[in-house]
Amino acid sequence: MSSFGFGLITAAVLAIATVGFTMQFAVTNVLNLAYGSIMINSAFVAYYANVHGVTAWASLPFGVVTGAVASWALNRFVFTPFQRRNLAPITVVIVALGVDLIGTFGLQAIVGGSYVSYRQNTGHEYHILGMFLSGLQLIILAICAVVLVTIHWLLRYTRLGKAMRATSANPNLARNSGVKTQFIISTTWLISGALCGLAGVVFAMNNGVFEATSAQLYIVLLLAAMFLGGPGEPYGAMFGAMVIGLSTEVSAAYVNPQYKEVIAFVALLGMLTFRPYGIFGSEKTL
Amino acid sequence: MSAYAFYLATIIIYAAVDAMACLALNVEFGFAGLSNFGFIIFQSAGAYAAAILSMPRAATSNGGFQQYVLGWSLPWPLPWIGAAIIGGLLALPFVFLVGKRLRGDFAAVGLLVSAVLLNVLAKDYVPFLNGAAGISIVPAPFQSIWDPQGLAYQFAYGGVAVVLTILVYFLLRRVTESPYGRSLRAMRDNDIVADSLGKNLRLNRTSMLVLGGALAGLSGAILVGFISLWAPGAWGYAETIVFFAAIIVGGAGNHKGAILGAILVPVGFEEATRYIPPLANPSLVPSLQWVAIGLLIVLFLWFRPDGILPERRRILSGAPIPPPPPSKSSEDIDAEVMVKIGKVDELNFRHLLRLEDVANDHRVILSTQGLTKSFNDVTVVSDVSIEIRQGRVTGLIGPNGAGKSTTLAMLAGTLPSSGGKIFYEGEDITSLPSYKRAQRGLVRTFQLASEFKKLTVLENLVSAIPNQSGDSFWGSLRGRRRWGAEDKANIERAEEILEGFGLSQYADAYAGGLSGGQRRLVEIMRALLAEPKVLLLDEPMAGVHPNLAHKIGDQLTRMAKDGMTILMVEHELALMDAFCDPVIVLAEGRVLAEGTMAELRKNSEVVEAYLVG
Repeated sequence: MSSFGFGLITAAVLAIATVGFTMQFAVTNVLNLAYGSIMINSAFVAYYANVHGVTAWASLPFGVVTGAVASWALNRFVFTPFQRRNLAPITVVIVALGVDLIGTFGLQAIVGGSYVSYRQNTGHEYHILGMFLSGLQLIILAICAVVLVTIHWLLRYTRLGKAMRATSANPNLARNSGVKTQFIISTTWLISGALCGLAGVVFAMNNGVFEATSAQLYIVLLLAAMFLGGPGEPYGAMFGAMVIGLSTEVSAAYVNPQYKEVIAFVALLGMLTFRPYGIFGSEKTL
Repeated sequence: MSAYAFYLATIIIYAAVDAMACLALNVEFGFAGLSNFGFIIFQSAGAYAAAILSMPRAATSNGGFQQYVLGWSLPWPLPWIGAAIIGGLLALPFVFLVGKRLRGDFAAVGLLVSAVLLNVLAKDYVPFLNGAAGISIVPAPFQSIWDPQGLAYQFAYGGVAVVLTILVYFLLRRVTESPYGRSLRAMRDNDIVADSLGKNLRLNRTSMLVLGGALAGLSGAILVGFISLWAPGAWGYAETIVFFAAIIVGGAGNHKGAILGAILVPVGFEEATRYIPPLANPSLVPSLQWVAIGLLIVLFLWFRPDGILPERRRILSGAPIPPPPPSKSSEDIDAEVMVKIGKVDELNFRHLLRLEDVANDHRVILSTQGLTKSFNDVTVVSDVSIEIRQGRVTGLIGPNGAGKSTTLAMLAGTLPSSGGKIFYEGEDITSLPSYKRAQRGLVRTFQLASEFKKLTVLENLVSAIPNQSGDSFWGSLRGRRRWGAEDKANIERAEEILEGFGLSQYADAYAGGLSGGQRRLVEIMRALLAEPKVLLLDEPMAGVHPNLAHKIGDQLTRMAKDGMTILMVEHELALMDAFCDPVIVLAEGRVLAEGTMAELRKNSEVVEAYLVG
């Protein structure tokens, strides 16, 4: 049961990250493989705020803003110009891989290769429904729940959310129907980038210690969760993250924990092979 | 002095290994358009295979301090051959990722994630390949009779590596500079269109993944025989990105570019920075190396996307002078073409399109029963049953969104149907893949531009000709002597039709640079050269000058008389009037009426659908 608690935290963090990742794919049709590097950069900005006297929780917004601005800039100044060139679609993905190297190892060049951790204590340990969760983990869960509900409200009940969904479904039609697609795309990258930054900080907090390359393999979980729910589908992403997060941690309790990512891997390859548009996604999204 | 000599030998070996790997990746990525983001696992598999095939049994070696499987103590060159075989076999599990259904970037991340996970597994599972510590003390070939530490040995090793790399270069050239290579590049430029012209995407991509994997495996074997050590730390997924950087810098789709990239990036660049002394922190130089690799990729793709040595344009026509780029307005050019197209009347299509022995008996050749297509809950085509008669030009009209293009796509197999059946020549072909339908003579064109951009006009045409003996992997290996004469005849056939359509001067121009109307013509010619029995045309005249459209229409009618069957989706009702009989009207996914245009004009339902729709 304690592994279920771990799984819940992993799943919650992954859900936030995957929703951001899948929203970026939805509006710009790019698999942003540089996502992990922006996560860890955001975590480090928050860390430096923390080191300079801000409490860990109060440093969280620093990470969120970093993620939002960096993601927006990446789309505005790198991805969009490349897409306008009308090159093969894979070119942008290769560019994203290059940006990931620059982001991750540029950070490593600045901060060095050693592990750091936030100055915060993990709080009292609570025993809930057979799970042992620290105060820190409970706060992370609460933040994730609030954010996911907010995203749901944004997509369902606001004009902005409606415009985002329209842009994702058919950008040309949306533009011709009076949606300011450029503005919507920029806003989406800001919001999804904020999710990316938030995910980076809580990922690092949950890990305890982290360094510049800690999020490098996170892309495996992100991709698995996204493809499980269908690429470009925010609700699918939440579902996929729950499945991947829980199954990796729960399976770790029964098999060698070093192989826990294997489930994500098998899920991803299975989805790519049999249902690349996700369990709920439609054929037309491709 | 001698230290430099050893260093030189080392550099030669590294250069040969990296060049071979880059050549292998380039044939996958630069020619076949396969973004193998997991390339490093193929090299690594070869290295491990060569190691454990050449080493003694694990229990007996070095007091058993390392664990691994096999341990067959095979003499050289068997471990290297084994490495190539293992590298090639490793491609087979990925056959599921490279079919038509999966986007290229999705397949790429599938391979990327496979590389990440295999690395994690190799690290954590010790009994298989000794885990994170890796396999060490791998014997060098002939080390019992020749000291591997000697200078002569190392230069000899380098010599063998270089010779093998040169052989690989010639092998790959043989493959790519053949009709098969042309098909690979066509598939790279537009896979769905290549598929619709009868190219088997899954087979071609798998073949290239196996070939590239085998060569990558060989390169790994050469490397491990020299450094005698192979561990998961050496083959993180990011190493693949270094090879991609090399190919992007050198020039994708150019073998010499791949070699140049290998020498510049993994060898030149990484060697040049290896000896910078550690400054502020020990990880600074390695991190900056990675940053630089990332920057190389982004900057080159922006400023010089074709690399230092861009892909060479293949001049096929007799005239070696490349044509001037079409700088005139497309209307001017179309008008020019129109003057020349008078010659299209002189073309003997019966002979050119191999229609000589087609019986023209107006039997039903293509038909559907209750054909249906839905996307999620939206039904786009609903219960369409039509019959297409042999030797007729059948029109398919209807307002926007009536499901015309979707119907055509289902007939050609580009889209799978959600319900109903399709019969072709009396046979149920509902589940036959599109490339097989094309091979049987059911060929389509596309509504949107679908030229192979980086193939010349002539290459676009020749690539469509079916049954070329050089258009298979094995056929290409048999060389020009096998397919040269046949290819020459094919080129002449394409030139003849090109001249008939008045586009001879663009024979050697990249198809991507033509005007919209010209590209339409190229597409029609290309479809004709695929020797269709039934030709499915999706708005073939859109963007074509009206007079020209009429000439083409006349030709289509003549071809139909010669026995070809044509189904044409078109918006222009005047063209339907002139050339199509019968005409089928679709509205809201259903068949509304069928008859001659004259009959349909009297049908109030049809008129209403057009006015309302």
